[in-house]
Amino acid sequence: MKSVSPAIRGWLSFAIGAVIAYLVGMGLVFLASGSWTYLHLVPVLFATFGSVTAYSWGASGYSPITKGFVWLDLGSLIGFALGLGIDLLVQGTLDWVAPTASLFALLFGFTAFFLGVAGFNAASKGLIWQIIGTLLAAIFVSVIRAAMGLTWSGPFLFSEPAWVLGGFMGVLFFLGGSGAVDDWFKWARGIDTPEHHEEHYSGWEKYLHISYDHKVIGIQYTVTALFLISVGGLFALIFRTELAASQLQFLTLDMKLFGQNGPQLYNSFMSLHGMIMIVSILLGMAGITNFVVPLLLGAQDMAFPRLNSFAFWISVPASVLLLMSLVLGGFDTGWTGYPPLSARAPVGMQMFFLGVFTAGWSSILGALNNIVTVVRMRSKGMTAFRMPIFVWAAIATSIIALTATQFIGLAFQMVMFQRLFGMGFFDPAKGGNPVLFQHLFWFYSHPAVYVFILPGLGVISELLPVFARKPLFGYRWIAMSSLAIALVGFLVWAHHMFASGMNEYLRVPFMYSTLLVAIPTGVKFFSWVATLWKGKIWAPTPMLFVLGGIVVFLLGGLTGPPNATVSTDLHLTDTYFIVGHFHDTIFGGFVFPFFAAIYYWFPKATGRRMNETLGKIHFWLMTPAFFVLTFGMMRIGLLGMRRRIVDYDPALNFDYTHLVMTVGGFLIAISVLIFIYNFFNSIKNGEKAEGNIWNSRSPEWQVPSPMPTHNYDQLFEVVGEPYDYGLPGGSKYVEFIAPAKSKHP
Amino acid sequence: MGHFLVVGILVIVVAVLTYFGLDAVGLMPVQASAQSVSIDWLWNWEIIAISFLFSLIVVPMIYSLIVFRRKKGETGDGEHIEGNTPLEIGWTVVPLLIVLVFAYMGAYSLGDIRRADPDALVINVKAQQWVWTFEYPEYGIISKELHLPLNQQVVLKMQSTDVIHSFWVPEFRIKQDVVPGRVTEYRITPTLIGDYKVRCAELCGSSHYSMESPVIVDSQADYDAWITAQSAIAAEAAKTPEGQGQLLTVRNGCIGCHSVDGARMTGPTWFGLYGENVELADGSTVVADDAYLAESILNPQAKEVAGFAPTVMPPFALSETEIANIVAYLKTLK
Amino acid sequence: MSHNQDKSSAYAQGVLIFVYLTVLTALEYFVAITFSAVSILVLIAVIKAALVMYYYMHIYKLNEDSADDIHSYAYKTGTNRLGLWLFLLSDAFVFAGLLTTRINLLGLTRPHLNQLLGVAVTAVLLISSFFMNRGETAMAHGDKKGFITNALITFVLGLGFLLGVVAVEWPAAAAEGLTASSGTAGAVFYMMTGMHAFHVFTGLIFLLVIINNARKDIYSEEKHWGVEAVTVYWHFVDLVWIFFYPALYLIGKLL
Ligand code: HEA
Ligand code: HEA
Ligand code: HEC
Ligand code: CUA
Ligand SMILES: [Cu+2]
Repeated sequence: MKSVSPAIRGWLSFAIGAVIAYLVGMGLVFLASGSWTYLHLVPVLFATFGSVTAYSWGASGYSPITKGFVWLDLGSLIGFALGLGIDLLVQGTLDWVAPTASLFALLFGFTAFFLGVAGFNAASKGLIWQIIGTLLAAIFVSVIRAAMGLTWSGPFLFSEPAWVLGGFMGVLFFLGGSGAVDDWFKWARGIDTPEHHEEHYSGWEKYLHISYDHKVIGIQYTVTALFLISVGGLFALIFRTELAASQLQFLTLDMKLFGQNGPQLYNSFMSLHGMIMIVSILLGMAGITNFVVPLLLGAQDMAFPRLNSFAFWISVPASVLLLMSLVLGGFDTGWTGYPPLSARAPVGMQMFFLGVFTAGWSSILGALNNIVTVVRMRSKGMTAFRMPIFVWAAIATSIIALTATQFIGLAFQMVMFQRLFGMGFFDPAKGGNPVLFQHLFWFYSHPAVYVFILPGLGVISELLPVFARKPLFGYRWIAMSSLAIALVGFLVWAHHMFASGMNEYLRVPFMYSTLLVAIPTGVKFFSWVATLWKGKIWAPTPMLFVLGGIVVFLLGGLTGPPNATVSTDLHLTDTYFIVGHFHDTIFGGFVFPFFAAIYYWFPKATGRRMNETLGKIHFWLMTPAFFVLTFGMMRIGLLGMRRRIVDYDPALNFDYTHLVMTVGGFLIAISVLIFIYNFFNSIKNGEKAEGNIWNSRSPEWQVPSPMPTHNYDQLFEVVGEPYDYGLPGGSKYVEFIAPAKSKHP
Repeated sequence: MGHFLVVGILVIVVAVLTYFGLDAVGLMPVQASAQSVSIDWLWNWEIIAISFLFSLIVVPMIYSLIVFRRKKGETGDGEHIEGNTPLEIGWTVVPLLIVLVFAYMGAYSLGDIRRADPDALVINVKAQQWVWTFEYPEYGIISKELHLPLNQQVVLKMQSTDVIHSFWVPEFRIKQDVVPGRVTEYRITPTLIGDYKVRCAELCGSSHYSMESPVIVDSQADYDAWITAQSAIAAEAAKTPEGQGQLLTVRNGCIGCHSVDGARMTGPTWFGLYGENVELADGSTVVADDAYLAESILNPQAKEVAGFAPTVMPPFALSETEIANIVAYLKTLK
Repeated sequence: MSHNQDKSSAYAQGVLIFVYLTVLTALEYFVAITFSAVSILVLIAVIKAALVMYYYMHIYKLNEDSADDIHSYAYKTGTNRLGLWLFLLSDAFVFAGLLTTRINLLGLTRPHLNQLLGVAVTAVLLISSFFMNRGETAMAHGDKKGFITNALITFVLGLGFLLGVVAVEWPAAAAEGLTASSGTAGAVFYMMTGMHAFHVFTGLIFLLVIINNARKDIYSEEKHWGVEAVTVYWHFVDLVWIFFYPALYLIGKLL
């Protein structure tokens, strides 16, 4: 076997593992229930986990990662058994698809994975404490309720208040347990700590521990985002499979899982797909920003390294809460969580609210850090209009995230309180106003869509000159357009509510303001085209994704104005046309640029580059598949396909289009899998790339890769324009001057 | 100059091809209301603008990729062009004008579709999870189908008893949310005879997908006939307990979740229910007699039927006679 | 203007501002009970807020030139200051959201509340701000003892405010039938006072932290960022109440 390459061994084991695990899963189901009904999912799950574990084992032997997967498998099984046992004790019936068992499997599985990979580390300690905290608080509330003579248990083991406090305490315990707040507690007791800790861990282990290095945190964010994209994408694949044909296929009224029947489960998957993807965007963009901004500024780190690490780590328990919502009865409101529906949904709704609330704090604190960093940590000579353009995008984004995010937090908090304490904010029976929620929600969630894209557009603007070998056309205009988009974006939120029954006279002003956003966005597009014009364009993988992003985002952007003109929107709103619109904008503004950024800056982090061939396959598979997906969406949306439905009227004749769309979705997934493989494989086996492989003027490429721990050994001074490509005689953007203040106090 | 000329021509060619291509595919469903004409007019201009702007950006982009690509062995940079302020101003101002024009057209077409006819026919609509109920106040008719006369403006006064729903008939184009705690209006003038469907367009819970009801646009004569027939049926039904019971199941929206023909919906079917053994979620069985049925309606959570979502059916505060009438009706479903 | 004052004139300034604030609050109350013009109430609140932001929170320090050496304490304090103010900006949006909710749901009506209690807690919070300012001034002039005394007074007053709201006002309102679940008025009242009280609560914890640290001699005339941060935070909480008090007690007709 020695002569066989690890990759082949891996894939062989993958296949064998999948088959064996599938059979084991089937056998277990049969033993347990005596039939196969509605439990197909179990063998599929077994096969997924089994095959991944086997791949890892085959490819790398019993390495730490393999160990992690083995522990993951065992952990979930143990958690599942434990959950079943508890359920049996409490409810008196053995329910194989009980939410409790699934919840325990989820929590234990995650925790065991990180434990297996590297023993006690921030992630595993945090997760263990999160479980403890959740249970302790839930039990605490239950005991009090029992003592007060209230019911202490609910359909999901504990009562709703117990779960809410549990979820909340879980987050706090996570933070305490992981060590993310250790230094602050030291400060509070008057103990000083060194500005930077020495890194105790090397290699990949440092990513599982608390680190204050912005580059490590950037990668932590990025990998978490990739994980969440995969989970959210997996949910999309599940519900797309259901949609592939009319009539209910496997999400039927008879099936039951996590306390939900098929249509309810569809809604949970769909809603979580939306929110998990959105969180993954926030984290993904935070990842790129974190990694790149200090490098572009010539700073040694972000302004507040501890806050930075805190903002990352708080997003981990937030993600866990979001996933918990699925198994605690789910919720069927979409990512928007409109009351009164969200005031009636199962407990999962509360976990969703808590999760978003927590993730929101990650976003707010990250944005704060970002702004301060840009204001205070620039190199000598880097005036506002000599900053790399990405920095402008990051600033514009941060302004939105810093302020508007509070509104979604508040809106969700008010629904939580309405459910817990009967506060009638949005309850018409008590004089409340359901439409008020929509105003508060969209006051964040519209500007938020620009949070999704501005960094992405920044990446596009940053990379285009490098690959067109020309200055960025109209630098100042592009910089200002980012700010303009962000600011005008604050004034347009009610365009999501044209049909909502809000005050009629608001509709026309909001139509005008919404259409105005097209202008600064247009400035970007025209300037990009002018940047390409008469360039010397070359198109390695990052550039492909940049170009793809431009076209896709253009489609998404151009489908915006028809939504913005009220009368057409009355037809378009809440249809798949909207779904098409925002998949286009999000893919063009986030997914494509995100991939571009990873391909582009990967060598900075690792000293190696990702495989070009696989990168090109990724691009040429994903792009057409994506067009198929969203053109399909828009087409059927116009003809009458509503959003958020598990089944559609066969008389509409959408079956064929839906099938094609589903195939498109799967092709995207395959391309993403190829990317993920390429990503992890290239860390070890990628071609070495230590120099300025893109021939860029940017400061971070003037020093060898990978970037040393404290960034630049020499300070630099900005002496020219950032994008002066093609200047006869040449010019420089930065000049290295003095050795940076060496070692830290 | 050569480049500009070629690109200019290509932009126009591609824009025209795109527009006519889209037009040939046919993007919208049939126009069945006067309002849809005005909406489609705006939409058509939007498609023109989209086709043009799309090719305006994409054509020069692809052209550059081909013509200005770095040829094998080349290492140099492109031309040093930093920007061009008049151009930037140009592509700020021109889109601004376009946008203003579209905003004006949008306001115009909005005004057009909102034009109210004082003699509009009023129909009350009740939305609830997951069924539409239509009431013709002039005739005292309650129906689960919406019948509309041709070429007469109707205004639907819509109310919801639980969560937000949204009234949408794709062929009418317009959509309006139905919000609990207030009455929202939906104004439409049907112009094409046919069978359509109202499809609830706001997520309203697990059976949101099945919240569809027939909408039928009739000629004036057919419409009058339907009204007469319905009035007669209603009058006839009001004479017997089971008839009244049936009306009650329509009025209260029961039929949104229960079928009378054995089909599986959100709730168990009523077909052949009376007198049968019902299996409950806790494993026991119970005979569906009068007492059980009455309890199931007043307090649905008291005994949960196996295989159905437990908390879905809301409790109904109906009087004893009303319950008795409904039960009488249920008995007839064999 | 007030950058490098000596200690006594800094104290005097604190007193003067406190007098202004008191007078304005009294005026506010007077306007409310006589002709209740909302625009004037808003104007007074804005003036009060501006006074607090400038003289108590020293917002102008954001603009201060700090040292060139980015590793110096002064430079880092400048950075921290910006961070803190951005945080407050962000937090202000929570309260803005609550005000929006209040206006949307209650419009120009207000719940029936005990006016006397309202004035009392408002006064207590205002006085606490005065002592907080005195404490910071003391620290800025190296007077550790003075700082601790004033900070302790602030703490006691703050605690008084918190208990006044949570342990006196809430039960009193509930006894009158205004409960969290009784309707939108109750919901708004408890949510607004509750969110504010939560901030007071965290402020109290921070106060304990700096008092404790001061006793350990951590702070000096030049290096007392911790004290400054908590001071600014405390005044911010007061600032919020400057808007919440009229919004809950003074504006509009009784329900
Ligand atoms: C990445 C996120 C993103 C971005 C960038 C945008 C960009 C825009 N969006 Fe989109 N939108 C979403 C994400 C996004 N949207 C999401 C997620 C939803 C659904 C939420 C939900 O309900 O779940 C939504 C829904 C949505 C609605 C509500 C639809 C409904 O539910 O009824 C509206 C209505 O106005 C709208 C409009 C716009 C407009 C006008 C833009 C503009 O910013 C676009 C501007 C760009 C261009 C116009 C193209 C380039 C410009 C030129 C080439 C210049 C010349 C152009 C002209 C003269 C027109 N969007
Ligand atoms: C980042 C944002 C993002 C992204 C990338 C996607 C990606 C996809 N979306 Fe997304 N979608 C949203 C954001 C996004 N979506 C939002 C916000 C909504 C609205 C929700 C709402 O209405 O509330 C929505 C709604 C939505 C709907 C409408 C649902 C409805 O209204 O009923 C549909 C339907 O086709 C859909 C399909 C898809 C598909 C097929 C993909 C594909 O691109 C997915 C491709 C798959 C992957 C990228 C995963 C690949 C990886 C793996 C398979 C590995 C798995 C392994 C492990 C977990 C270890 N989405
Ligand atoms: C929102 C959906 C919904 C509506 C509306 C609804 N039901 Fe139900 N109904 C259910 C579900 C789900 C069940 C089964 C679970 C249960 O027992 O609660 C049920 C159970 C019943 C049963 C017991 C049936 C059996 O098989 O034993 C009766 C009788 C009944 N409903 C009558 C009514 C009547 C009468 C109305 C209207 C006045 C009504 N329902 C409205 C969903 C609904
Ligand atoms: Cu009613 Cu959706
Ligand atoms: Cu929007």
